[in-house]
Amino acid sequence: MFKTLLFVMPVFVFFEVLFRLGFAPIVTNSTLFDIKMLAVQKHHIKNVKLLAMGSSVGLYELDSKTIVQNFNMPYYNFSSWGLQITDTRLLLSSFVKKYHPKYVLLCSSIGEFVGPQNDTYLNFINANDFIKDKLPELFYFTNYSSIHQLVYRKFNTYPLALDNWGGASLSVKQKNINREKWNEHDIFPTKYTPANYIALDSLASLLKREHVKFVFIQVPIKKSYSNTDQSKQIIQVHFDKCKSIVEAHDGTYLNYYNTTVFTDSLFIDQYHLQAEGAVILTKEIVADLEKIIK
Amino acid sequence: MLFTSPAFVIFFTLFFLLYWYVFRGSLRLQNLLILTGSYLFYAWWDWRFLFLLVGNSILNYFLGIGLAKSNSPKYRNFLLWIGLIQGLGSLVFFKYFNFFINSIISAFSVFNMKADIQTLNIILPLGISFYTFKTISYLLEIKKGKIKPVTDWVVFFSYISFFPTVISGPIDRPKTLIPQLEKQRVFDYSQASDGMRQILWGLFKKIVIADNCAAITAPAFAHYDTLPASSLLFAVFLFTIQLYADFSGYSDMAIGLARLLGFKITRNFNFPFFAQSIPDFWRRWHISLTSWFTDYVFNPLSWYFRDYGKFGLILAILINFTAIGIWHGANWTFIVFGFLHGCFFIPFILSGNLNKKKKGAHATAGKSLAAFINMAGTFILLMLTFMIFRADNLSTALGYYHKLFSSSIFYSFTITEKANTIATMIAIAVMLSAEWLQRDKQHALQIDAVKGLPVRALIYFGLIFFILSFSPVKVVDFIYFKF
Repeated sequence: MFKTLLFVMPVFVFFEVLFRLGFAPIVTNSTLFDIKMLAVQKHHIKNVKLLAMGSSVGLYELDSKTIVQNFNMPYYNFSSWGLQITDTRLLLSSFVKKYHPKYVLLCSSIGEFVGPQNDTYLNFINANDFIKDKLPELFYFTNYSSIHQLVYRKFNTYPLALDNWGGASLSVKQKNINREKWNEHDIFPTKYTPANYIALDSLASLLKREHVKFVFIQVPIKKSYSNTDQSKQIIQVHFDKCKSIVEAHDGTYLNYYNTTVFTDSLFIDQYHLQAEGAVILTKEIVADLEKIIK
Repeated sequence: MLFTSPAFVIFFTLFFLLYWYVFRGSLRLQNLLILTGSYLFYAWWDWRFLFLLVGNSILNYFLGIGLAKSNSPKYRNFLLWIGLIQGLGSLVFFKYFNFFINSIISAFSVFNMKADIQTLNIILPLGISFYTFKTISYLLEIKKGKIKPVTDWVVFFSYISFFPTVISGPIDRPKTLIPQLEKQRVFDYSQASDGMRQILWGLFKKIVIADNCAAITAPAFAHYDTLPASSLLFAVFLFTIQLYADFSGYSDMAIGLARLLGFKITRNFNFPFFAQSIPDFWRRWHISLTSWFTDYVFNPLSWYFRDYGKFGLILAILINFTAIGIWHGANWTFIVFGFLHGCFFIPFILSGNLNKKKKGAHATAGKSLAAFINMAGTFILLMLTFMIFRADNLSTALGYYHKLFSSSIFYSFTITEKANTIATMIAIAVMLSAEWLQRDKQHALQIDAVKGLPVRALIYFGLIFFILSFSPVKVVDFIYFKF
């Protein structure tokens, strides 16, 4: 038995070293989500009264400093690239139980209503709390991925600096903006859109049951995205649909689609604001939230 | 639970501790532990079929005792036939019922007639092909007077359900495993450590080679009609390796686990890719199955056809190998595969060379070019026949051949997962080299002769690191589970 342990221990030590060197275990297929959950564990985030959620729009467009300067309560931004509303519903059912927020801010745009649910988030949700909170290294074994995959992921991940509240910002010079991304126009609605509306309804209902104030924030969209009557109508239908769902469950719907205030120069692509735009947006959000958050 | 799963690691660790530290002093308790552990292991897959396994064991236990007690040949034959009908009947029902129905429907359709017969939604009980053969050989050996029946039901039930081998073999004969269950096991450190080495080697073959090959071959075979023939050829090569690495990897793990418990079970593979002919290949591949068929199908048939000389022998071989093909599954592809391999024996039978070993069987490739050419030729024949084995049906198999022998064999093809493919090719080279160097040993990692601890540690940790570095995204079920 001792000799067996002698062989097994170096393997555990090796993985611990990998963990310390930043080769995070692959739990879901979202690199940022995995990194973020590790950051949450590392910073011992336990109590979050103001919880922000969403996809990359939520990540980049809620300026953390502006929020924490104006609201004296524990705040964390759990937003992650690529989250769809179906995913957010899944994650929030776990986060609400764990962090007991009083307010949930969901930053959203049409990009969160276009894709299918990502079931790999279940790998995290269904994991034992001990592993999540105390020993995330055990994810190397419960959600086994080869070392080559760990290395590949680390060196092929878009570099990202999260602030202390889980947010991030985008600063790209105009001349460096990717033209293809700039001209991109996501197809909306898709065959997954109805399921995402259902998930939004379910999410709003869940938050109401848990006595959590739900604030749905429709973030700005680049003017050139809705430069035809048809596209204008499509996004207006989407706004109305979300508003009716949110308000049916006593949530607050805030819409910042304003192409006069949020001109194209503040964007990096069809929905994502640069850091400057994010600060402007967050200040407007804060001004509205002050009427809701007591 | 797969041998490679965390659940099995926990299960076996607890089992091992109980087996050697708590129940070591009592043979009965150890055997009860084996039985309980085996049923738990089997039920983990599907608890519903545990009743079939237990029922099978109960029936054959009493049949064995009845066979030995009775002096009436008629009654003994009657008991034997009950056992054979029950065993083969269950096998035929679960494995072949829908195949027969679909074949009848297809036959009727050839004459533009419709056969109104329904197929059933039948789930194949795991391991039924393996444990059924165990019970059949048990009854036949008692009938022939070669063994006495087991009166201790714990021993007998443990023999049938022995968890390292119940799902995919090796198919242990009663005289191999039962005596070991009947006597006290003593922990032998060298046997246990060699068992661990064999498990490690099996893990390497299964995880690094077989599963990575599967990730490449599956899409290649699925889209063979749109890819160049060179891609199909590469897939066929990898599939041949995959089949060996998967099954022999499983067998190595099963044998290693048994050795950790103090059991020596039947070797299943003897480096078959070094075979110099198809008959030589079948002496090295799935040895427990081919020896079973040799003893209970081929030998009786060759005795029955003895008056027909070589042609009787040919007929016996063809029937034997067709039966081996059928054993693999309910599909005409397996039947054709088996029949073809039987046909490969014909030249040897006609020339009288069937049981002669080729010269230079253990010669290095450098010393005997003929040996190397024989090995390469045998491997190519295997590749071409494993293509049929792989196909979903005969028309797909014909499609593979049609594609393979087309001009696009000279086209280049794209490899998408470059790192994993390169790692797989390196692992295959490591496997073949190690097995060649160790071809006179039981398994490639039997490195007792390597005395230096640092060198041994380097080999072990090197393999562990390779496994940890290049295990694929998706761990695939063992191929022979579906047989």
